[in-house]
Amino acid sequence: MARTSIRNRRGRRKIHKDFELQLTSMMDILVIILVFLLKSYSTSTNSFSSVPGIKLPISKSQEMTPDSLHLIVTPDAITFETQRVIEFVQTADALNTDAPTYAFKPEDIDEGGMRISRLYDALNAAREKAELLRAKSTARDANGNPLPFDGILSIQADKRVKYDTLRKVMYTAGAAQFRIFHLLAMKQDQ
Amino acid sequence: MLKRPSSRRRSDPAEVQLNLVPMLDALVTMISFLMYTMAFLSLTMIESPLPMVSSAENQEQLKTQPLQLTLTINEKDILLWSPFDLIPQTSIPNKDDQSPDLLKLHETLIGIKQKFPTENKLILVPKSSTSYDLIVGVIDAAKNLDKTDPVIVVKNEKTGVEEQAKYIFGEVVFGNLLGGDE
Repeated sequence: MARTSIRNRRGRRKIHKDFELQLTSMMDILVIILVFLLKSYSTSTNSFSSVPGIKLPISKSQEMTPDSLHLIVTPDAITFETQRVIEFVQTADALNTDAPTYAFKPEDIDEGGMRISRLYDALNAAREKAELLRAKSTARDANGNPLPFDGILSIQADKRVKYDTLRKVMYTAGAAQFRIFHLLAMKQDQ
Repeated sequence: MLKRPSSRRRSDPAEVQLNLVPMLDALVTMISFLMYTMAFLSLTMIESPLPMVSSAENQEQLKTQPLQLTLTINEKDILLWSPFDLIPQTSIPNKDDQSPDLLKLHETLIGIKQKFPTENKLILVPKSSTSYDLIVGVIDAAKNLDKTDPVIVVKNEKTGVEEQAKYIFGEVVFGNLLGGDE
């Protein structure tokens, strides 16, 4: 048994001496991967993150998404600039169903059930910060004034979210002087 | 008398081996860079401005009576109408599986755009229970032109030149955003 083992080891040593790594096939694989990556390469100027479990709708629109303040609406929470500002509560009537429904906590809503108070505070703080940065910036308009706040808010919502929630979000953003909404969706392949 | 061939040509070509290692290094670096900078989540956006209402604008609209095409999403159908009755009210019922007939909506909107080529605004009135998925689908059908759609020619107001329309109704505004539901 031991003799066989030594013979085997000698044999292996012999193979090692003449062995040369064949790089051609590896080169072929890498070139194919490179071509695939270049074909499907797409970059974006924004730095939008996402949250786990979100299901985005698919849109045929081909417009690029510029960088802006970013709000994520999922069926159970609202996240603004990576901070979870609102958490919904599960409604009692849907506790035993497969598809639970969520609602705002009563203390999170004011102005006749339209404005989301904590989100309004967060959006207001973000607007004030943006205005302060623009005031300190050297960029000026034709009259020498600081550039005005652009008021753009990108909304990334789960496709199951109802318009009722979206409307409250947009109403709150409007109250915090956000004037343009970018509704984000997954780009449909052409 | 023939010249003696060069000794260089007689050298065995099998002995020449291309050094692939630097090329391999470059390829691995490029693949790493591409994978790092690649956007795997390909996002697009639909722009919608916040509706602004002013009394002066209301007075102007009462005078000029624009189309002001309004699209109401109901549970069983999609309704197209104009507050000044410039088009007959059109109902697009849901399909047999109760999903909205977005193809028919798209065709109907192209017909309206051909009658009113300068109109670019659509007022969207969804129900509280309408899902975001359906809203995006309806906006897609109302905004984007497909390759198979007929060409719509629009006169550019600034240059006076006739050009092909890029969108059916490019500006989509939520009509019931600031209050008033269904």
